Amino acid sequence: MAELANIPWNLILPILVLQLILMAVALIDVIRRQKTNGPFIMWIFIILLGSLLGSILYFIFGRRQD
Amino acid sequence: MKGLGVLLQKEWRENARNFKLYWIPIVFIIFGIIEPITNHYLPEIMKSVGNLPEGAEFTWPQFRGEDIFISLMGQYQLIGILIIILAFMGSISSERKSGTATLLYVRPMSFGSYFLSKWIVINGIVLGSVWLGFFAAWYYVNILFNPVAAGDVFAFLVTYSLWIIFAVTVVLSFSAWMSTGGTVGLSIVVLLVLQIIDSVIGAFWTVSPWKVTMYASMMFSSVSNQSGFWMSIGLTILLTIGLVIFGINMAKRNAAKTTV
Repeated sequence: MAELANIPWNLILPILVLQLILMAVALIDVIRRQKTNGPFIMWIFIILLGSLLGSILYFIFGRRQD
Repeated sequence: MKGLGVLLQKEWRENARNFKLYWIPIVFIIFGIIEPITNHYLPEIMKSVGNLPEGAEFTWPQFRGEDIFISLMGQYQLIGILIIILAFMGSISSERKSGTATLLYVRPMSFGSYFLSKWIVINGIVLGSVWLGFFAAWYYVNILFNPVAAGDVFAFLVTYSLWIIFAVTVVLSFSAWMSTGGTVGLSIVVLLVLQIIDSVIGAFWTVSPWKVTMYASMMFSSVSNQSGFWMSIGLTILLTIGLVIFGINMAKRNAAKTTV
């Protein structure tokens, strides 16, 4: 537990919050439309497990343009 | 410039609805925060996950705050440019393909305002994201490293913005010219491959748009090459204007290619 307290949380926290916002927006979008490039369940896993890169990939390649 | 106001609103709303207005700034800010933190904690990170042998001693380079800005710019030069290319590759070409363009082209609008409305909104989003990213990094640099003079930071940002505007113009005008796939390929060649070529054999000349980023990083040091700097700036502005005119003409010429 001592190591956990040593982590500078006040510095790391903004990154975690921003990443969480990004992930939440991507998830809400994928669930609301369900029409994606490729299987929609696959994109949920990519967003959840891919952290920053997963959400970026969804926004660039996952959303169908029409 | 018929209907520029309306088209600007349309672009703005479109980018809000496809979330580009939100996710691009967030990604740039995240990179802006990660860069100073990893550089500051690099020795500790290496100690805990680096598998260094017992008793190994390394002397880590002592970074100054100014170096962090330059290394963050290096990140944006690869990841940032890739995001710009991939996010805006279909700005015009996919509108032609999906039929949105058909609905637009039957209205009384000039292709100048059509192209410029996209150019202004995309530049606004990307420049806003880059500046927010550097401001986030600046805040962290002041906490973790030494304070950096505001004058240097703004001179650096203004110069770097010129390169970003050039990059956006390249992507947008290629999108007016070719299909989405062609846009990606040629933009990567122009913005990433030529950038590498310029850095490898670029010692033979001092004036090129790809040198603007190098001149931007010189804002933090006392070394300066005045004539080369202003010539590169001038050349980049001329090329940007040329690409805008080229893009407008290509959008007009390819208007017949829309799917109805």
